[in-house]
Amino acid sequence: MRKWLLFFLLMMSVTGLSGCWSKKELSELAIISAMGIDKNEEGKYVKTVQFVNPGNVSGGLQGGGGGQGPAVTVYTAEGDTVFEAHINSSAKVSRQLYHPHANLVVIGEELARTEGVNVLLDVFERNAEVRSTTKLIISRDMKAGDMMKMLTAIDHIPAEKVNNTLKITEKMRGENVVVSLQDFIKWSTAPGIEPILSGFRVEGNLAEANKQESVMQMDPAANLEANGIAVFKDEKLIDWYEGQTARGVVWILDRVKQAEIDLEWEGKKDAVVYQVMRQNTTIKADTKKDIPEITIHVRAEGAIREVTKPVKLDDPNIIAEIERAAEKEIKQQLQKTVERTQKNQSDIFGFGQAIYRQNAKKWKGLQENWNETYFPQVKVNIEVEAFVRRTGLRTNDHLSELEKKQSKGGE
Amino acid sequence: MENAKISAYQLFVLIVLFELGSAILVPLAIDAKQEAWLAILISTLGGLCLFWLYFRLYEYYPDRSPVEYIQALLGKIPGSIIVFAYILFCLYLSARVLRDFGEMLVTVAYPETPLFIINTIMIAAAAYAVRKGIETIARTGELLFVLFSFLFISAFFLISVAGIIDVSNLRPAFENGLTPVVKTAFTQTLYFPFGEVVAFAMIFPYVNNAKEAKKAGLLAVLVSGVTLALMMASNTSVLGIELVSRSLFPLLSTIQTIEVFDFIERLDVYFMLASVIGGFFKISLFFYIAVRALAILFNEQQPIRLAYPIGMVILVLSMMTASNFSEHLTEGIKSTLFTHLPFQVVFPFLLFLLAAVKHRRKKQAGADGRDSL
Amino acid sequence: MVSFFHRKKRAKESQTRSGGPEKKKEQLLEVSLAANVDHIRQKTGHSQDIVIRMLKLGSRGEMRAAVVYVKGMVDSQTIYDFILESMMTNPSLHDKLTPEEAVQLLTEEAISIGGLQRQQRWEEVFTSVMAGNALILVDGIAEALAASTQGGERRTIQESTTNVAVRGSKEAFTESNETNIAMIRRIINDENLWTESMKIGRVTKTDVSIMYLKGIAKEEIVEEVRSRLKRIDIDAILESGYIEQLIEDKTLTTFPTVFHTERPDAVAGNLLEGRVAIFVNGTPFVLVVPALFIQFFQSVEDYYARFDIATAIRFLRIFIFFISLIGPAVYIAATTFHQEMIPTELAIIVAAQRESVPFPAFVEAIIMEVTFEILREAGIRMPKAIGSTVSIVGALVIGQAAVQAGIVSPAMVIVVSITAIASFATPSYAVAISARLIRFLFMFSAATFGFYGMILAFIMLILHLCSLRSFGVPYMSPMAPLIPAEVGDTIFRKPLWAFKRRPNQLVSNNQVRQADDQKPHPPVKDQKGGGRDA
Repeated sequence: MRKWLLFFLLMMSVTGLSGCWSKKELSELAIISAMGIDKNEEGKYVKTVQFVNPGNVSGGLQGGGGGQGPAVTVYTAEGDTVFEAHINSSAKVSRQLYHPHANLVVIGEELARTEGVNVLLDVFERNAEVRSTTKLIISRDMKAGDMMKMLTAIDHIPAEKVNNTLKITEKMRGENVVVSLQDFIKWSTAPGIEPILSGFRVEGNLAEANKQESVMQMDPAANLEANGIAVFKDEKLIDWYEGQTARGVVWILDRVKQAEIDLEWEGKKDAVVYQVMRQNTTIKADTKKDIPEITIHVRAEGAIREVTKPVKLDDPNIIAEIERAAEKEIKQQLQKTVERTQKNQSDIFGFGQAIYRQNAKKWKGLQENWNETYFPQVKVNIEVEAFVRRTGLRTNDHLSELEKKQSKGGE
Repeated sequence: MENAKISAYQLFVLIVLFELGSAILVPLAIDAKQEAWLAILISTLGGLCLFWLYFRLYEYYPDRSPVEYIQALLGKIPGSIIVFAYILFCLYLSARVLRDFGEMLVTVAYPETPLFIINTIMIAAAAYAVRKGIETIARTGELLFVLFSFLFISAFFLISVAGIIDVSNLRPAFENGLTPVVKTAFTQTLYFPFGEVVAFAMIFPYVNNAKEAKKAGLLAVLVSGVTLALMMASNTSVLGIELVSRSLFPLLSTIQTIEVFDFIERLDVYFMLASVIGGFFKISLFFYIAVRALAILFNEQQPIRLAYPIGMVILVLSMMTASNFSEHLTEGIKSTLFTHLPFQVVFPFLLFLLAAVKHRRKKQAGADGRDSL
Repeated sequence: MVSFFHRKKRAKESQTRSGGPEKKKEQLLEVSLAANVDHIRQKTGHSQDIVIRMLKLGSRGEMRAAVVYVKGMVDSQTIYDFILESMMTNPSLHDKLTPEEAVQLLTEEAISIGGLQRQQRWEEVFTSVMAGNALILVDGIAEALAASTQGGERRTIQESTTNVAVRGSKEAFTESNETNIAMIRRIINDENLWTESMKIGRVTKTDVSIMYLKGIAKEEIVEEVRSRLKRIDIDAILESGYIEQLIEDKTLTTFPTVFHTERPDAVAGNLLEGRVAIFVNGTPFVLVVPALFIQFFQSVEDYYARFDIATAIRFLRIFIFFISLIGPAVYIAATTFHQEMIPTELAIIVAAQRESVPFPAFVEAIIMEVTFEILREAGIRMPKAIGSTVSIVGALVIGQAAVQAGIVSPAMVIVVSITAIASFATPSYAVAISARLIRFLFMFSAATFGFYGMILAFIMLILHLCSLRSFGVPYMSPMAPLIPAEVGDTIFRKPLWAFKRRPNQLVSNNQVRQADDQKPHPPVKDQKGGGRDA
């Protein structure tokens, strides 16, 4: 009996003592929703941390006082290393900094251009608290810190807004990519591929954007929007791709889910709108020649969404013609992207990787100076197969009826 | 000998939990790069041979424990020395696994908690198990095996549903030929985890059906080998070889990558659950085997009494083997030649030869004797 | 030190035992009626309810006799009609007879009652009188006749209140052993249904019967039950709980290793699986051994319902058990150690709720759990009329006031309520209550080490469960050790036609339970059937 008591007391004291070590009450945590990194004039890192104010997010429970203040609070601190800046920022917060819910890391464009991104990431990757699925973006034309101070309307937490926007735009428009910390590091370290990131910018009046009133308006003074893809070379940001060029990149990386393509029809520009609903892109390398050849094969399926000119959509031959036109258009767009990238000398498509996986021996010869010497010279064949599967609820458009009526009226 | 019996199925379960125990934590056979899975499969074949060897040895002495037959084969004093060395080997491995788990938990979930405390409660639970005896451990294994396999199967399912698998990460195949693969298989993976089954020689006499036990054991080695190969293949295809080789706990990184329906994510606990279950069994089995062997060696009638002191030894050992995790890991890889190779391959093989010769001589003597009659 | 205590205790035990009734010489009845009657009066302390009716045998007889019984314990009508009347009016009883002949005559002719025993020893005599037998003493012979006249007021057979089933027999056991045994006999009409009865309790002399199906129950287990019951030497057995605690394999556990039920059909089903039932007079709860862990999650209704539904419900019960075990612990672990595993939105909501709560989550959970336990206990012990008041106050205190005052968070209230409901949904009260106790252990381990502590606590719980045995049968079987053929009746419930064999862990022989091919085959509408239309 005494032995048991002793054992029990021992266990109690061991567990009781340890109670304080890793325990952290939810109400004692400063839940970080996003982090931003810049560099100031003195060459120090500036870290901006955005915390959630839980009471203001969920609409308040007791006393009806919730929902008054902003949903997030932003603190800024600087230091010689990212970690130091981070520690310094904790001096301003009464609670323990808590990372696992941080879904977003924003990096200032200036910093990305001068120093690159990789050097900043080790501190995040090493920390078990930081999720490897945390998303990375570049704040375009502005400091990351300023972007962190933005408030957003529908999503109370700006980081959520950014993540959701990214996800939706990647899916609907294919002009952005969702890149996580882990993806970025994977792309940077893997042979024969260079990383890309999505950019965000603020539309409207930046000065008004950090005020609560801005969000209260029906037409907010400023808005965060996804804009462009940042292309890196030697770990530094060198170029921004926008619109169709950006979509070309996403397309070649086989991450496009939906895309909308305007086709020229009978001389009229943008007469037929073809929406890709499903597509599959493969990159194949032909390593027989000295400088390998790359074949990009696209297979797209989609539907007609809009016509601005009478088109006989009940005629299979016409549909076939539209398909040819779509193929041509897609091919052209991709071609443009490839050309521009080859000029940039940064293999963001992973052509090198395709070669490496195809023929590792060959790749060893090409590995050095791949981006500068070989990548720009690679011959890229683009093969596109496009299919129109359906045309929506109507076959022929009412425009042709209108035309008929008008021409009758003219008689 | 404890008066206990376990079934062949229980042996199967224990071996699988034992082999997967700490092997799921680490980047296994990572020197073979993309072909890590192949290296694991090759060493599984080696593992099967080793298991056959250990079991053959047991078949020569079906009703005696290894402590007794080693003494019988080598003589009292040399035999005792070898047995004692084996006991130290078991204690060391138990301590190593304990350290692995402690480090994992401290790194992943309990950064502020001292390693010593984490290890203490783990070894306390293991000591409780050891006191309960092999039957209870085996039954517990059966129940937790269901949970363990559920976790594994669902994790594989989630990984494949999440769409994060990119099989092309496994290419190019045989970048440096087959040599590094075979080399990794026979210098690392064969000894960890497959060769560690040598400790089960102490468990074999408890199994109630030797024929079934052999089948179950071979199947267990095969199943765990295939599972590990599959695990390493999915790690590589999700994370890419660069990340896997830099990760301390690649499976954790893989599981962290899972995001399904925007809701099933952050599954670290999943990983923790599976690994603690596996680790618990590996630690307690080594622990139990060491306690049993010591009891037989020193003729202690109540082996239960040894549980707490030996537990303390393992605990202290786990804290003292290395001053940091990198040292611990390097030690693990470098020590294979000095500890694993003799204990897992050389000694058993020599013992086997000795036993075979003795057995044959005895048989001949028996046959001669009959002839003379 | 420890062993010294043991020795001392043992010495004491043997002392008390030798000082007990064994030391007394066996006392026999005397020849004189007056002396016997005096002895009875003296021994029972002239108690008012001991009736001693002096009479003379036969219609004109002179031979003196007495009838002794306890008021209220006997069926008085039987005594008037079949004892007193026949003794006083029987013509063949006359003076010429010797007392020996008279007693012979009484036994053979006069008294028309089923159970009639001749007794010589006072010990026997008192036991039978106190159990409700009528005693017939005749002057001139050192013998008594004990006629079984048990009767009196008893609770009638009513519906079960603790093991409720939607479908199935509505009968529940009563406090009378005879009734209970008869209820089983009514279900199993087989001569192999054997009972053995014994008196346990030095003072209460409680009737305890064991019942088993000869040829199905394993002999060793029956013998084990017998010897464990025989070993009991205690002054009183007031309820089957006494027996349960004195025969279980291990006392240092919160889990019941003896099954108890109020339903005859449950006992019958268990008997048919080869188990042994123990009936204790004075309680409607019948014990069944050996008990398996999974048995406490099964209800008789599972076998009456369709197998798919029964299987689903059994899964649900296991799930419920886990909730009631680890519900609050998961909440504590998730909110104090593993906030990363909560989805962001939920984490923020919970954080907002916890903002104003002054206690750590563990203390908050303990407050709520203890409050709930108080309410539950109050609800059970209170008179029924006040019970509803308790629940109203409880609902107001827990649900409204505590949340509004900011002492607990609404999320905690939800967790505790779900756990509370879950603990009531477990079919066996015994397991539910042990889960409630272990819940605090889990809460504690979650509060100190989060999920790591919980996993270790869980492993230790499983180790503990696996180390238990009930009458030699591993408690967790047939899952651990796994008996594949029997898993069909654990968490799963295979179709009835597939129950070909009894659980062979328990059965000695006669394993086959039903004939081959019991799967229902509806008559196939074939070509011949077409004749009906013609």
